[in-house]
Amino acid sequence: VLHTTRPLHTSQQCSAPLPPLPEKGGEVRHGLIPEEFFQFLYPKTGVTGPYMLGTGLLLYLLSKEIYVINHETVAAACILTVIIYAVKKFGGDVAAFADKLNEEKIATALAVKNEAIKDLESAIEQEKKEQWRVEGRSYLFDAKRNNIAMLLETNYRERLMTVYNEVKKRLDYQVAMQNLRRQKEQEHMIQWVEKSVVQSITPQQQKESIAKCILDLKALSKSAQAAV
Amino acid sequence: MNLSFFDQFSSPCLLGIPLILLATLFPALLLPAPNNRWITNRLTTLQLWCINLITKQLMIPLNKTGHKWAMVLSSLMIFLLLINLLGLLPYTFTPTTQLSMNMALAFPLWLATLLIGLRNQPSTSLGHLLPEGTPTPLIPALILIETTSLLIRPLALGVRLTANLTAGHLLIQLISTATIALLSIMPSVSILTSIILLLLTMLEVAVAMIQAYVFVLLLSLYLQENI
Repeated sequence: VLHTTRPLHTSQQCSAPLPPLPEKGGEVRHGLIPEEFFQFLYPKTGVTGPYMLGTGLLLYLLSKEIYVINHETVAAACILTVIIYAVKKFGGDVAAFADKLNEEKIATALAVKNEAIKDLESAIEQEKKEQWRVEGRSYLFDAKRNNIAMLLETNYRERLMTVYNEVKKRLDYQVAMQNLRRQKEQEHMIQWVEKSVVQSITPQQQKESIAKCILDLKALSKSAQAAV
Repeated sequence: MNLSFFDQFSSPCLLGIPLILLATLFPALLLPAPNNRWITNRLTTLQLWCINLITKQLMIPLNKTGHKWAMVLSSLMIFLLLINLLGLLPYTFTPTTQLSMNMALAFPLWLATLLIGLRNQPSTSLGHLLPEGTPTPLIPALILIETTSLLIRPLALGVRLTANLTAGHLLIQLISTATIALLSIMPSVSILTSIILLLLTMLEVAVAMIQAYVFVLLLSLYLQENI
């Protein structure tokens, strides 16, 4: 049976890939009757065919009392009015709302994709920049090398300076020591000479020198008076 | 077809075969099945949005254990909503006008909430029988009153739904009969009556939706108390 029915299949017998949803629903006239029915009757009965059929059917049902008009008819008329009014008034809004829900769903997914693409593009930009930076690397290294050489030179000179100062300090110390010794020797000698001289002055000599000084003073005072 | 007023409430039968099961399960045929598309057609999208809205609304006041009831309450809501709304069409049978069906829905669900409460937190459940801040002499009377109110809940749930829908349908029938009867005698009064009928129909649409919502909401409230 499985193989005999195969020629009757009209579509593929598997689920994937899913056929796309049709863009618009089937065409209907008066919200109920498909357009295909009107097309079906058109060759034989023209444009008014289906309407004549409908009217005739309705009149037949009513006149033969196959459909009895009772209280339910009025209730039916009321509920139909309410339904048609609701559909005409809110139909477009509800459809737009459903479309909006779907659009939002698609938009979030697209946003994710675009975000990812943007991130990757900016990553590519960054990478290119890094590559350009790499080319200037040699200049950077030269500058750094110069920097370090200068630092080393400065350090060396500072240390040289320190050594020079230290040596000078030690030599100055030696010179100061020698000067001090010289000075001390001189003072000592002067004191010793003075002490010897003072010791060697006898009292006799002292008296004679004082008398001489007094005579000199008298003579001087005589000449000084004259000057005044 | 001479219909009396109560023919619409009799259980439908075709050549001796009871059609009640078909009538109860028919609304399920109107809902599109979830398929494995990511972007669905408008009807499926709207249905999904509607069910999400209902479930969120019902589950917000409940805690984690209450979320186990999500499927029951949401499907009950959709079921009652569809049955009530389809019953407004002419010559249709509304299963929810039958007290037996509504009691069959209300009683087990209410009993389930009661037993869950008594099993998991017996003292809190019994504590609900006494509102806070009652003066001491009133306590015995109040406990009796609260117990009565607790035990009458399933009856209230079932009868509320039955009475609302039955009354609505009956009113529609009576007023449309009046309209038809007056049509030959006083057409202007007939037109007035038909305007009343139009307003009543709109009311009935609202009542159908509200009654379904109230039924499920009260059940979720009883669940909240006892979970």
